[in-house]
This record gives sequence, structure tokens and C-alpha cells, in this order.
Amino acid sequence: MYVLRRLPSLLATLFAVSLLTFLMTSLLPGDPALQILGAENATPEAIAEVRAELGLDDPLPVRYLAWIGDALTGDFGRSYRTSEPVAEAIIDRLPVTAEVGILAIIIALLVAIPVGMLSAYRAGTRTDKIISSTSFGLLAVPNFMVAIFLILIFSVTLGILPATGWVNFTDDPVQNLRSALLPALSLAIAEMAVYTRLLRTDMIATLQQDFVTMARVKGVSNRRILFRHALRPSSFSLMTVAGVQVGAIIGGSVVIETLFALPGVGRLLLDSVVQRDLLMVQGVALVIAVSYVVVNFTVDILYSYLDPRISHGRSAARV
Amino acid sequence: MRSSSQPGSRWLRPGRAVVSAGIVGLLMATAACGSDGGGGDGEEGAVVDVSETGDPVDGGEIVVGLEAETNSWLPGTANFGNPGYNVAYAIYDPLMKRTPEGEPQPYLAESMEPNAELTVWTLTLRPDVVFHDGTPLNAQALKTIWDTYLVAPGSNLAANLAEVQSLDVVDDLTVTYTLKAPNAAFPDLLTDPAGWPFSPTAAAAAGPDAGSSPVGTGPFRFVSWQRDSQLVVEKNEDYWQEGLPHLDRITFRPIPDEDTRVSSLQSGDIDAMQSLRQSTVARAREIDGVDNYEFLGNNSGGSNFNTSRPPFDDVRVRRALALALDQEALIEVLGGTGLTPPSTQFFGPEDPFYSEEAAEAWPTNRPDEAQELYDEYVNDPARSDGKAVGDPVSFTYTCPPDPSLNELSQLYQSFWNGLGMDVQLEQVEQAAYTQQAIARDYDAGCTRHGAARDPYYVFQRAFTPGPINVTEFSDPRIDEALATMRGSADVEERKAAAEQISLVLAEEVPVTFTGGTLTVVAVRDVVKNVDGWVFPDGSEGNGTPDGTAMWGHVWTTE
Repeated sequence: MYVLRRLPSLLATLFAVSLLTFLMTSLLPGDPALQILGAENATPEAIAEVRAELGLDDPLPVRYLAWIGDALTGDFGRSYRTSEPVAEAIIDRLPVTAEVGILAIIIALLVAIPVGMLSAYRAGTRTDKIISSTSFGLLAVPNFMVAIFLILIFSVTLGILPATGWVNFTDDPVQNLRSALLPALSLAIAEMAVYTRLLRTDMIATLQQDFVTMARVKGVSNRRILFRHALRPSSFSLMTVAGVQVGAIIGGSVVIETLFALPGVGRLLLDSVVQRDLLMVQGVALVIAVSYVVVNFTVDILYSYLDPRISHGRSAARV
Repeated sequence: MRSSSQPGSRWLRPGRAVVSAGIVGLLMATAACGSDGGGGDGEEGAVVDVSETGDPVDGGEIVVGLEAETNSWLPGTANFGNPGYNVAYAIYDPLMKRTPEGEPQPYLAESMEPNAELTVWTLTLRPDVVFHDGTPLNAQALKTIWDTYLVAPGSNLAANLAEVQSLDVVDDLTVTYTLKAPNAAFPDLLTDPAGWPFSPTAAAAAGPDAGSSPVGTGPFRFVSWQRDSQLVVEKNEDYWQEGLPHLDRITFRPIPDEDTRVSSLQSGDIDAMQSLRQSTVARAREIDGVDNYEFLGNNSGGSNFNTSRPPFDDVRVRRALALALDQEALIEVLGGTGLTPPSTQFFGPEDPFYSEEAAEAWPTNRPDEAQELYDEYVNDPARSDGKAVGDPVSFTYTCPPDPSLNELSQLYQSFWNGLGMDVQLEQVEQAAYTQQAIARDYDAGCTRHGAARDPYYVFQRAFTPGPINVTEFSDPRIDEALATMRGSADVEERKAAAEQISLVLAEEVPVTFTGGTLTVVAVRDVVKNVDGWVFPDGSEGNGTPDGTAMWGHVWTTE
């Protein structure tokens, strides 16, 4: 029922996203016809011919309806630049971005959960202060700097991980993981810091609640209190933010995929914007936006599962 | 292996006329000569710093890192930049290729001869050459490629090839190119994608996907391509040149980030790489176990002035703008100090068409003279910009957003504001900038002068009416010299004509220059013979122009 209640707003969001994506790419200065023809061939007649062929002179609403109509049937058109079908290009590249992104989130959570809990458990001590200041430090370092640093250590100096050279999972799972590790780590560092900070704050609050005191009184071990009693109620903000941070990971992938020469969606988007490959930009932006909306929608659903009060219409704040 | 300590392992190789980076380079204010802080403690000019070559070894495979991906591999559709040329030379053979003297000589073609009027060029193919799919390379194949792809509507080569009236089959191995007017420079066009035969049967079968499964006659067959990841080629066992290629397999990987590409070479993830960045050239010189094949071609950074707009319609202003510049300071900002000399013309100092006289005539770094010319203009009651006497000249200088170009623009601004001008800076993204330039909707802006072709084509496109005469500059003396270059195959006569144009440009200054662009193919020292390619008749090739190698001639000792 909760899912059904949220569906109309999801659809409205997706419609708005598609419209904004289309409008923004249409407003980009720089003529795609010029990019296709090349400057030498760019006589006014040739430009007019290409523009007419691509329907670029049609009014915006007509172009939008034509594009979204085809997109709804899965036809995103063919790239102006490479003439490959847009949908095919995205499907080819999505697994790379998704793998690196998911790996980044897993790494970030694997580090952040124990560290954040430790920080909360030892709140105010030297351990907590070291963890907090390290987190702030890591938050302040841009991911491309982290990437260059990691390449220098793990590729150039130690020679244990490749700096570039993506290997598909289907070709060699082990090499695939090796090629995904440094990019994922570069994206994970900042996420790690965000997650650690959040979990620490929420957990400090949880640890002061009555049921935790009760558990302590009953002689339940610290480990059990932290993992079994305190973690779940402390992870709501973490989850919401992890959903929102998917946007940061996708944004980061534009930079990281270019740095590590990965054949992902982020790099495709960047190249397509630069080359004014409008259909590709629209297709990629739409798919990214839809993934983002769907991930956050899923987080909402999970949230209601973790905290049953939500699906019953009572937010935690009102309790 | 810094070679300064090993003088025996270094020699200067003349950089000659180069493979085209595309005349689009004229518009591309790319940061090719830019830098983010490259050093410059090495030797100026092209340096080939390599270990002992030894005897050829067959077998093995290498990975080559390229600075960009290419959109397609089909001539007519593909925009081949320097990275794309590297792949293309593995899969395709050029009909013609340039000699160290800058003259096109038959490579895949057996001969290329003009009639007396230079209007009909007869090209004869070698017998028994087949494409990788078994289709024979014959006259009919050339005609099909020409008519169906190269000059078809929508081909990005159509404008370049418009001077050809028809390509006709004479016999099985002979075709004629009939031109609309005489042109001694015509064979030069066949060194570029228009002269890279691809299998017409394979292209027809692949339809719109022909650009992703190239079939040529080259030393390597195409195996697979994952865009933005890797393109794999393997040895063509039936290659028409005996004993070639040496390698079994090459993987080309586009790695756009300069730092990561160099790191990948350092860590051994890749065996070879190319770069046009001065900072990378400097950095590659410092890496142990790496051989550097550098080339100082004709590419140079610089500025365009829109002479159709005041005040750039007045030569006094244009000369003042050039005279105010300290080129060494501009080169320093671009990270080319100690690597590249100041440019004075469309040719590098090692090009056969380079003119000493034009180099001396080029107006530069005489601020007093600049001030005099500027004052004369602003105090002229008939000044072309219609402003009151004494008012400063004002204009906008446009550049794409790039850290080094940004710094460069600020330096220009300070030189010109020093004369009393009011210069505004504007950053416009590359695609929009190209559009502005084509529409002549700009005052002045940065550019790359890419004179990487026969001088006739370079000057004809840059300074006669057409889309890429972005300065809107023309001059009867240039037209006259162009007519000479079209009508004469005599090298000395053509050199004199090119010099005449360079002198006109030094006098009229529709453009200015910064410094040349040094390029490099850097390889792990197990990769050999990168610049040692030869023509099928055994005569010497032109090395690694603009960071492009003939990979069929390369071997590895590993």
C-alpha cells in the first residue's frame, strides 16, 4: 500500500526529470550539426541540411514529444557522434558504473559502520577525536586527488593494482575486481567519512535511550548491545544519506571514470556533452536521473521496513 | 635514462612535414600545447632519446595508451585525431605517405603520376593486395569507396574532396582522379583518411555499424572494440609487405588523463603512449626505462583576429597586438620553456617550407613600436572603430576553459592592457567557441595553428573564403602564391610561394603565434623501432610525426 501511495509522486518526478533533461540539453550553446560536419564542411547550406535531417529546427515541444515518445518504447535514437544506438551504449556501460559505485558503497559501509560505532561508543575520548578529525580531513579531499594518490601508491610504487585497463567481469572476475578496486576506493573515501560521521551522531543518541540502559542493566554484552540493539535504530539517517549520496557517486564517476579510463556511463556523459551529442546526453542523463529517483524510492521503502511506524503513517518525529 | 648523461644515445632527428591533425586544428584552441606546470630543463626541440634498437624480433604483444577515443573507424564518418591515426595505421595502409622531405610518396599505391596540366592524377595499385576479409583491393574497390562513402552527402571529407570532379576506373589496378582545376598538392590528400582504403564489401554488409568493425589492408586485423576501454588488433598473416608486421597483437587503450597515462606507462600497465602535452613530454623524459620519440611538427598555439570587425580591420592594431607580446613569457605559461621555440609562421623550424626570412620579419616583443602604432590608431580621427580620438581600443578575447589557456589569456590581457587597451576575457566552451568562430561572432581568441598538410591546403583553407577562414583575412598576394603552388610541382618554386605567404602574414598579422607543440611517443625500452618505419621500396619514412607511429614496423624484445 505504501508503495502504491508513493507511485504518483514517483511518476511526476520522472516526468519532470525528463523535461528538464531535454530542456537543459537543448539550451546548451554549440550546434550539434557543426560537430557532425566538422568545421571544414560547415557551410551554411550543409548545416541547414543536417539540422533539418535531425529535426533540430522543429519547435521544442514537438522535439520533446517525439523524443519522449520513442524513449518510452526504449528507443533513445542513435548517437550523432558514433551512430551507435543510445540505449545500447548505455546498457554496455551501465554495469561498469554500477559495479564501481556499488563496490564503493560496500567499501564505505564496511569501514564506516565499525568505525562510526567505535567513535560513538568512545565518544569524547582520544579515539573519537582521531576518528572525527580524520573523517573531516577525508571529506575535504576531492576524489581526483585521492585517485592520483592511490595510483601513485598502489600502481606506480607497489605495482600491485593496475592504474588503468578495465577487464569485464565475464572475461575474468578476479582481474575485473582488481581493475575496479582503485576507482571504487577513490569514490569510497569521502562516502566513508560521511557515513562515519552520521552513524556516530545517531548512535550516540541511541546509546542514551532507555532500552540501551535496560540492556546494560540486564548484563547484555557491549558487542551485543551495539550490533543487535543500537545499530538498527541508529541507521535511518545513514540509509537515507546513502541513498542521496548515490547522486554524489554518479557525479564522482564522471571524474573517476575519466581518470581511470573506465568505459562507464560517467565518461560517456562527459564526452557526449563536450561533443554536443545531444541524444546521447539526453539518454544518459535520463537514465542516471531515473536510477537516482528509483534508488531513493527504494530507500524510502526500506526505511518503512526498518521502522514500521513509517508505513503506518507515523513518522519517528511524532512519536 | 636522461640522455644528457648519455650523449651517445641521443641524436636530433629532423621533424618534417607531418601527418594532418586535421585543419580543424585551426579552430581548436585545445590545450595541446598547454601545461599544468610542466618543467623545461631539457633540450629545446625534438629529441629522440632511445636505447639500442637491435635486430627485429617477431612475436609478442604490446598495449598502447592513447589520449582519446575515436568516434568511428570509417573514413568519411570518423574524426581521426592523432590518437586515431595510431590505430588507423595498424588497420589501414595509406595510399600515400610523406617522406622526411615532406613530399607525398606512394605507400600502398604503387605509383601516382599527374598529366602535364596537373589536372588528371593516375594512381596505380599494387597487384595481389587483399583486404582482411579477402576482398581484392582493385580499382573498382577504390571507386566504390570514393562514390559511396567519401564524397557522399554527410561525409566529413566531402568538402576536402570537392576539387575532384570524378574518380574513374582505367583498368583493374588503375584509377584516375580528374580535378576541376590543376593542383600539384593533390596527392597530399591521399595521405589522410581519403587515402585509406577499406573493404567496400565489409562496409556495405555492416551498414550503419561499419565504423565499429574496420576492415583494411593494413598490417593488423581488427579483432574487437569496447568503446572507451580497448581496441584489439592481431597480426595480419597475409600482409602484402614481406616480413611485416613483427608484433602478434596490439591493444590500444584510450586513457584521457595525462597523469594516469604516464603512471600506467611507469607501472607497466601499458607499453607505449602518445602525448601532445608539453608537461607530459617533459615528464616522460624523466622516467627510467622509457624511450622517447619526440617530434616538433608544425602545430603551434596562437591567436586569431577577426579582421571583419573593427579595430582588427586596421593593420596598425594587429601589428601592435603582436609587437606587444613576449613570446617566451607566453611559452613559459604553457609549460614549454626549454622544450619549444617561439613560432613565427605556420611551419616548424625543421619543416621544408619554413622560411628564415619570414621568421626574421615576424613582429614580436618590441613594445615601444607597439605603443607607437597603437597611439597612432587611437589618435586617428578616421579610426575604424568609430570611437572618439584618444579613447582606448576595447575588445573581448575568447578562449575555451582550460587552466593553462586561462593563464595564457590573462598574460595576453596584461600585455595589451599595458598599451592602454581595454581587453575583456571570456571563456567559452569548445563546441560553442567553434560555432562562434564559424559564425565570425568573436573579436579575438586563442587557437592552434595546425599547418600539418601541404602548404597549399593549409593556406587555401585558412585565407580564402570558406567556413574556416575564421580571421576573414585574404590578400591578392596570397591568392597569387596559392595559384603558383597549385600550378607547379617544382619544390623550390612552391617553397618560394609559401615563403611569400608567410611574409604577407608577418606584415598583415591576422594571427599571432606562441610556441610550437612538441609531441612524443614514449615507450618502455623493450619496444623498438618506433620511428624506424620505411616505405615499401626501402626509403626512409618520416618517423613519428605528431605522436603517431607506424606500428607494423615496431617490435618488442619482451
